[in-house]
Amino acid sequence: MAVGLEELLDTGGFVPHGVCLLWRPDILMLHVASDVLIGLSYFSIPVALIYFVMRRRDVAFGWMALLFALFIIACGTTHFLSVWTLWTPDYVLEGLVKLITAFASLATAAALWWLMPRLLALPSPRELEASNRALELEVATRREMEARYSSFFNNLGEALFIVQVLPDGDFAYGAINPALARIGGLDPDQLRDRRVRDAVKPELADLVIPRYTACRDSGKTIDYEETLDMPAGQRVFHTMLVPVKDAAGRVVQILGSGRDVTERKRLQEEVIQTSKLATLGTLAAGMAHEMSQPLNVIRLWTENTLTRLQDNLLEPARAEKALRLVIEQTERMGKLIDHVRMFGRRDGGGMRSFRPADCVQSAVELVRHQYRQEDIEIVEKGWAAQLPVTGRPLELEQVILNLFSNARDAIIALRATGGAAGRIMVAVGDDPDGHCVVIQVTDDGGGIDPSVLPQIFDPFFTTKEVGKGSGLGLSIGYGIVDGMGGRIEARNVDLEGGGRGVRFTITLPSQPVSSVDREFSHA
Amino acid sequence: MPDRFHILIAEDEVLAAMALEDFLSFKGFRVTVAANGVEALERYASERIHALVTDLRMPRMDGETLIREIRDRDATLPVVVMTGYLTEDSDLKQERWKPLEIFSKPVNPRTICSTLHRMLGIPLEA
Repeated sequence: MAVGLEELLDTGGFVPHGVCLLWRPDILMLHVASDVLIGLSYFSIPVALIYFVMRRRDVAFGWMALLFALFIIACGTTHFLSVWTLWTPDYVLEGLVKLITAFASLATAAALWWLMPRLLALPSPRELEASNRALELEVATRREMEARYSSFFNNLGEALFIVQVLPDGDFAYGAINPALARIGGLDPDQLRDRRVRDAVKPELADLVIPRYTACRDSGKTIDYEETLDMPAGQRVFHTMLVPVKDAAGRVVQILGSGRDVTERKRLQEEVIQTSKLATLGTLAAGMAHEMSQPLNVIRLWTENTLTRLQDNLLEPARAEKALRLVIEQTERMGKLIDHVRMFGRRDGGGMRSFRPADCVQSAVELVRHQYRQEDIEIVEKGWAAQLPVTGRPLELEQVILNLFSNARDAIIALRATGGAAGRIMVAVGDDPDGHCVVIQVTDDGGGIDPSVLPQIFDPFFTTKEVGKGSGLGLSIGYGIVDGMGGRIEARNVDLEGGGRGVRFTITLPSQPVSSVDREFSHA
Repeated sequence: MPDRFHILIAEDEVLAAMALEDFLSFKGFRVTVAANGVEALERYASERIHALVTDLRMPRMDGETLIREIRDRDATLPVVVMTGYLTEDSDLKQERWKPLEIFSKPVNPRTICSTLHRMLGIPLEA
C-alpha cells in the first residue's frame, strides 16, 4: 500500500498532541524545552563523532561510529517531531521517522553485540602503556647490544667482512670493518652493495671468489691461509668463512674474518730454521765422523799405492783396485755433502709430491753408520709404501731424523742406568684403506713417563738435561706433519722379547694438493 | 826386524783396516785385524801382541773401553789411536794411558808406521 506525500501529511481526523496536554502552557513548555534540548544535543553528537572519525582515521571500527551517528540523528529527529505534533497532528510522518529510528537502533544494537568480542580484544590504554614500556626497554637493550657488537666490529684488529650471496649466486660486499679497510686500503662506503668482481682488483677477486664459492656450495665453515697483495705489501691471512643460511637452508650471507699471521709465519719459519740448525749441530759431530771415514780410507790406500810405486812394487791390478776404492769413497763423501747442503737450505725446497719411503730410507742411510758405532741397530721393515704425499721431502726427513735422534738418546740414557737397549725399528706402509701412508719409529729405550706424554709436542718441552735438547724438535716435527695435513702421535709400547719403548706414528694423507695453501673443511 | 812384532788393528771400517794391514805388512809387520773392541780383546788374550792400533768408535765395544781393558792387563803395551773426533778434552790425553799416541783421521800410514817403530824401539830403516 503506497502512501502518497499528501496522505502522509494528511492530518484530517487527528487532533494535535497539545490537546492531550489540555494546552496547558506549563506542560507544553516542559515538553517543548525538553524535546528541543534533547534533539539539539542528539544532533550535535554525530557532528562530534564524525569529526573524531575524520581526525582519527586509525580508529578501529570507524564505520560503527557512523552507524551510531545515523541512529542518533534519527533519535534526535523523533524528538523534534514530538514538538511538531504538539500543534500539528502529523502522526504518520512521526511514526515513519520512529520506524527509521527503530531500524537504525536495531542495526546499531546488533552491530554492537556483534562487535563486542572484537572491541573487548582491543588493548586498553593501560595495556598499551605497559607494552610501550616493554618496547622501550627492548629498544634500549638492542641499542646497547648493537653498540657492543659494533664496537667489536669497529675496534677489533681482525679483518671482518660480510659478503651477501645475491639471488643469482654472485657475491657482493655487505660491510667491512675499519681493520680490513686499513689493512686492505679499502673504502667501506665504496664497497657496500657492490659485486666483489667490481669492487676489488681482478687479481684479488680471482683469489677470493673461489673461496666464497666453496663456502656457499658446501654450506660449511671453511678456513685456510692465503697470501694477498695489500698496499702494505704481501700479507698472509688465516681466513675463516662462516655461511649464514635462510630458513630453506640456502646460504644467503657469508661472515668472514681474517687474521694477519704474516709475523707469526715468519717467526715459525725462523724457529724451523733454528731447529734445523740445532739438528744440524747435533748431526755435525756424526758428520765429522762420517766424513773422516772415507777420507781415511782414501788416505790409506793412496799412501799404500804411493809407497809400492816408489819401491817399484806396484802391480797394475793393485793400482786399479786402489783407484776404484778412492773413487767410491769420493762418491760416498759427495753424497754426504749434498745432503748437508740441502739440509741447511732455508725453504727446504717447494711443496711437491713424493714417496715418504724415500725420505725414511734417506734418513736411515744418513745415521745408520754413525749409530752402528754406538751399537744401535736400525731395523727396517714393511717398505710396501707406494702412495705419494705432498709436502717438502727434506722437512719430513728432518722429522724422521729427529725421531731417530730422540730414540738414540733414549737408548743411551737407558744403557747408562744399566738397561739393555739398542734397536730402532722403522716401518713405512700404505694404510689398508689406501688413503694414508703410515710411518712408525719405535725404540727400545724404555718409554716415556706417561704423565709427560701429552706434553712432548709442546715447544721447549724437554726431558733431557740442560744443554742436551732444545725442546723444539718434536714441536717442529708436529708443525711439519700438521702442515702436510697429517698427524703424529706417541705412545709407549711393550716390545717382543720384553723390552719397552716409545712408538711414534706419523700418518700422512695421500692427496696431491695443487695449491700451497692448505684448506680444511669443518664437518 | 819388524816381522818379530805383531800388531793388532781394531777398526770396523773394513776398507781402512785392509789398507792399513796391507801397508804395515808391506813394511814388515805381522798384522791381525779385529772389527771391534770385543774381537780385539779376544785376539789380545789369545795371541802375543806387541802393539795396538785402534779406532775409537766401534760397535760392541768402543776403543776407549778396549784401551782401559788392555791397560788393566798391560801397562806398557804401545797403543796408537786413530779417531775421527776432536780429542782436545779426551781422557786419553792423560799421562796414565801412555805409551799412547793419538792421530786424527784421515791418518797417514807412514806416520803410524814410524810411530810404531819409535814406540817399539825398532831402528828406522835407512
